Amino acid sequence: MLIIQCPVCGAEGDETDFHCGGQAHIARPATSDPDNIADGEQRDYLFMRFNPKGLHFERWRCDRGCGKWFHAARDTMSLDFKAYYGITDLPPAEVMKQATGQWADFFKQATATRPAAKKTAAKKTVAKKSAGRKAAPAKAKKS
Amino acid sequence: MSEAVYTSPLAHLEDTRDAANLSISISEISDRGMIDLRGEAGSVKFRQAAKAALGIELPLKPRSTAVKGDLTVLWLSIDQWLVCCPRDKADGLIGKLRKNLGEIHSLAVDVTDARAIIRLEGDNVREVLMKGSSIDFTLPDYKAGLARRLVFAEIAALAHIVADKPCTIDIYVFRSYADYTWKWIEATAKPAATIGLFSKQSG
Amino acid sequence: MTGKPYRLPETAAKGSRIDRSKQISFSFDGTRMTGFAGDTVASAVLASGRKVMGRSFKYHRPRGLIGLGSEEMNALIGVGEGGRKEPNLRATQVELYDGLTATSQNRWPSLDFDVGIINNKFSRFLPGGFYYKTFMWPRSFWEKVYEPFIRNAAGLGEAAGEHDPDTYEQMHVHVDVLVVGGGVSGIAAAHAAAASGKRVMLADENPVLGGVADISAGDIDGISQTDWVAARQSEFEKSGNCHVLTRTTVVGHYHHNYVLAAERVCDHDPDLLARGAPRHRLWKIRAGQVIVASGALERPIAFANNDRPGIMMASAARAMVERYAISPGMNGVIFTNNDDGYLTALKLHEAGVAVSRIIDVRKDVPTAFADTARKAGLNVHTGAAIAGVETASGGKQITAVKIAPYSVGRGRVVNEERVDCDFVAVSGGYNPVVHLWCHNGGKLRFDDDIQSFRPDRHGDPITVVGSANGSFDLKTCVEEGFASGETAAKALGGKAAKPVKKPMVKAHSAGPIQPIWFAPATGKYNEGNKHFIDFQNDVTAADLELAQREGYESVEHTKRYTTLGMATDQGKTSNINGLGVISDATGKRIPEIGTTTFRPPYTPYSFGAIAGTKTGELFLPVRRTAIFDWHKKQGATWEPVGQWRRAYCYPQAGEGKQDAINREILAVREKVGLLDASTLGKIEIKGPDAAKLLDLVYTNMFSTLKVGKARYGLMMSEMGFLMDDGVTVRLGEDHYLMHTTSGGADNIVAWLEEWLQTEWTSLKVFVTSVTEQWSQFAIAGPQARAVLDKLDGDIDLSPEAFEFMSYREGTLAGYPVRVFRISFSGELSYEIATPSGYGRGLWDVLMQAGKSEGMTAYGTEALHVLRAEKGFIVIGDETDGTVTPHDVGMSWAVSKKKSDFIGKRSLEQAFLASQGRKQLVGLLTTDPQDVLPDGAYAVESVKSAPPMKMIGHVTSSYFSPTLQRSIAMALIEGGQSKMGETVSFPLEGGKTVEAVISSPVFLDAEGKRQNV
Repeated sequence: MLIIQCPVCGAEGDETDFHCGGQAHIARPATSDPDNIADGEQRDYLFMRFNPKGLHFERWRCDRGCGKWFHAARDTMSLDFKAYYGITDLPPAEVMKQATGQWADFFKQATATRPAAKKTAAKKTVAKKSAGRKAAPAKAKKS
Repeated sequence: MSEAVYTSPLAHLEDTRDAANLSISISEISDRGMIDLRGEAGSVKFRQAAKAALGIELPLKPRSTAVKGDLTVLWLSIDQWLVCCPRDKADGLIGKLRKNLGEIHSLAVDVTDARAIIRLEGDNVREVLMKGSSIDFTLPDYKAGLARRLVFAEIAALAHIVADKPCTIDIYVFRSYADYTWKWIEATAKPAATIGLFSKQSG
Repeated sequence: MTGKPYRLPETAAKGSRIDRSKQISFSFDGTRMTGFAGDTVASAVLASGRKVMGRSFKYHRPRGLIGLGSEEMNALIGVGEGGRKEPNLRATQVELYDGLTATSQNRWPSLDFDVGIINNKFSRFLPGGFYYKTFMWPRSFWEKVYEPFIRNAAGLGEAAGEHDPDTYEQMHVHVDVLVVGGGVSGIAAAHAAAASGKRVMLADENPVLGGVADISAGDIDGISQTDWVAARQSEFEKSGNCHVLTRTTVVGHYHHNYVLAAERVCDHDPDLLARGAPRHRLWKIRAGQVIVASGALERPIAFANNDRPGIMMASAARAMVERYAISPGMNGVIFTNNDDGYLTALKLHEAGVAVSRIIDVRKDVPTAFADTARKAGLNVHTGAAIAGVETASGGKQITAVKIAPYSVGRGRVVNEERVDCDFVAVSGGYNPVVHLWCHNGGKLRFDDDIQSFRPDRHGDPITVVGSANGSFDLKTCVEEGFASGETAAKALGGKAAKPVKKPMVKAHSAGPIQPIWFAPATGKYNEGNKHFIDFQNDVTAADLELAQREGYESVEHTKRYTTLGMATDQGKTSNINGLGVISDATGKRIPEIGTTTFRPPYTPYSFGAIAGTKTGELFLPVRRTAIFDWHKKQGATWEPVGQWRRAYCYPQAGEGKQDAINREILAVREKVGLLDASTLGKIEIKGPDAAKLLDLVYTNMFSTLKVGKARYGLMMSEMGFLMDDGVTVRLGEDHYLMHTTSGGADNIVAWLEEWLQTEWTSLKVFVTSVTEQWSQFAIAGPQARAVLDKLDGDIDLSPEAFEFMSYREGTLAGYPVRVFRISFSGELSYEIATPSGYGRGLWDVLMQAGKSEGMTAYGTEALHVLRAEKGFIVIGDETDGTVTPHDVGMSWAVSKKKSDFIGKRSLEQAFLASQGRKQLVGLLTTDPQDVLPDGAYAVESVKSAPPMKMIGHVTSSYFSPTLQRSIAMALIEGGQSKMGETVSFPLEGGKTVEAVISSPVFLDAEGKRQNV
């Protein structure tokens, strides 16, 4: 059972209180240019996903709390959450740096066109867990 | 034709309700009106218009509530509140909200009949809730004035801690689940099933 | 009889757990027996002199008690009767209460005379991997011969065949520190952690805290271990921040320190159960830090026929004497490879139990222990091992052991000494209980000093202390425990209000252990000589060696091939001994072999605990509309739709279901009917960009809809497949009310939110579900308007004022209503919504008002037939997640003007536009009385046997009382261009039904009936 904290409302809970929306940062071709989408591009958008061993970036929803979507960086081996950040943001720079493989390539391209998101209250890197899960209760976002 | 007949979500259990045998007391609240209010918390205009209609500032802190007179506003999300008022005032209040909000991007809709409310009272309430919810109701900030959505007994619910002594918590569930929720609490809150979690034992 | 001569007199042994003043009566295999309060079934049965408590799984060999607690693998019993029966309980853990009924397992017809023992005689033909070798060919034997045989032979006890009358529950708890195990290490850990003010939970599977404190040597803080434990326990109880759970087994450790613990709340106390307490409680614990102090288990030694009743672990023999004042027999021998065996010998000797020999594998025994024993007059025999066991009464009791000098190997023993005895206490050393440590990926390392695996690394905030960590001496156990408690609390930011004193223990050292994985036997190896490794699964050393010879080199393969360490035992006692045998056989060191995976649960726990409150009426949350009780009173049968229960049909006296459905349909077609449609999803959508959002989520256009008008809309997934449909109404310029399918209601709100929050973030729209705010009824039929006209109201219902596909708000008979003139039946129809609290009132008014018009309530099946007659699709019937709007002939609803909407680009892909796809058609069977089964397959040509090329399937099929014939809808390859062709449906049983492809609209294609 993963324990997750929503960066929007600060609620901490079981993964069953949340909903995982799969891989993050997938651009929908039709939103930018609906009339010029190659079959291959649409296929990649619908079906092609990263499957990293290690750091991964996902969409989650605070299903039984504030109902908001957010992004999370999670290690698929240790299952540790490394950061939570806004649904329209790129990951915090220090976490993005740790990405490897396809994700590293992806962020290289993404940051070339758009700088890494500035640190905001909605973004939070997770304290080292050796201190125990409850060591650092997170502050909720100030509205 | 006569007047409209109102039936509360738990009216059908009237004859069989036997709360006396539980470790807590439970009752149905059916005289509460509810308004689902959506708007942008970041918009000063919105907040002012809402305040003008309600006579009270919208609570902005997650899981907090604001109370004034017979009005209670529960924070549900960064752009959603549940406004609770006496049932017969809901219509008027919605009218007032809509009028004050005017063209401001918002939504105020009557959801008075969408939910059933069960009030749980007694020292054992937190324990009963934690038999059906993974939320830690013993956290220091889980005191009177807190409201949050949660999974309770496998269904979506909203819990509002109304008072601490005696512990009084209102559980809001969608109306269709009222019968199930009531029976779940009856089955779970048996005195012999009391745990006394972290209670001090004398002697 | 309270068990003389096996129950020792109080002067010899007090029995710390029992209360001799309280006699308890119980039955074992139908025989009435008595014991004392505090006894377990194992101790009470043993007190009667009965040593056989079960039969083994494969060979049905008689078996007696072997262990101390949850590791017991022989004495498995069923407890309770009828629905309360629970099989496979360990007799060593079952506490006695008045009237308890216990039955032994794996025997027929009785424990003393068992037919299955014949398996033992044929054991030569039941080698390791027996199942895999025997049940291979011929293939046709599988279903009728092999599987029933395996099913009969498999499994341990029998489950209760009746409904369990007891209740169960679950409990969530969040703690800072969870301490697993209430032995001295665990208590020291909880003591230190609780002092910091942090919330500590201590769970132990036994009824009494202390672990083996009561049967071990050494003092803490100058007082006995038992007194020290009692003092700490009383502190915990008064603290308010340390919750102690006894009779609670921590069964699993999962990600993020999520822990499951099974509490046996009233297994020991039927009165508590009768007062309404749950029988078992499953704890779902989230812990900041987990401290594992789960102790160690003594391991058996593999000598010939080491499974005979009377042969038990030394610690179990010691506990029998000290806790229950039970002598394991009249005259025993101790067989050990470490110092702990001597402690047992001395304790037994002190209680007056005859110990005629201490057999120590080691040649050089540390003098302190041997001397004490010798001084006590005990005969210490070093450098020797048990080479054989003599039995009487068909192996049900032992009479002597044969002792031979020990040397490593498989050679045959020739010189042996015979020693009379009726019990053997065996100590092969201790294995740390590392199961929990391993559940979520903890690593182990082999420690030569203890000849066992001990915890190494773990990625989670979890620590392990005491003998679970391979630290077997008291001083280290207490010190490690205390330090871990301090460290855990500190990591969580805890600070002691006033520091607690570290418990003091005097050090004493134990001599080294000598591994012994196999004791050579008299007679030919494995002929009448079984060296048991896994008692529960009847796996012998020979089985493991055979597996190696047959090439199952990986220990994981050996495990599966031989069943070593499988099932409820999870390798508790067998794991290390098994590895030792494999090590001997392969010449590899144990760490090179590695170990198998320990999986949750540590011990089995009941299905009741897993189900919790989810039984009977609370099995699933059931959603009721405001009209539920009315439906119920009318005798409705139910159709589950998601969690909703909807009325399926309303059979009247003397009516079958089909009669009722036909009556309801004809009422709608000829008179007027009323349907409870409250479950339909309803979503309010408001904002300056509301129209834009709807244009993006629907395939058709909604921005052009006029205020007060309604339009049917189709929704696709991003892959171009249909996922929902419904009528959406424009309430205002920037305000819509969307209807969704009943099953899709929650998903569609979430769907809209997701797109708004994650993709079209600039759109200003709010969506809110109002599904449950409204009760909604369809009043349908030629008389619908006539009925409504009778009621007071402020809505003009005339066809001119209130057109088809439009909407009005007002009052009706005093009820606030929203009225939609829409039709899913094809008849003149209004859907009337009123706030749910008024739903029942308005329903009653409508039923009453329509009485003279023949008002008939109709259920979901009539609704489905009515819509099928009209060729309307149902999402989930005509669609299955791979069906496009084109496939169902609804290309008209797919906008060509909009540049983007969900699924648009995917729908344009070539393979979704191809003509060969399955397309929706109607079917008219050649024989109008033939109703095709749902899902029946159409084939290209009928052959005598499969395979036949399938070209489509039936999606909906009914008998239409309106048309007096069967109608069906189907998805058929290229169907829309096959009108008038005949297709064949070969059915089960050899019958083939032929049907002509037609339009799916069977009635009133022009839509005249609904537009009047």
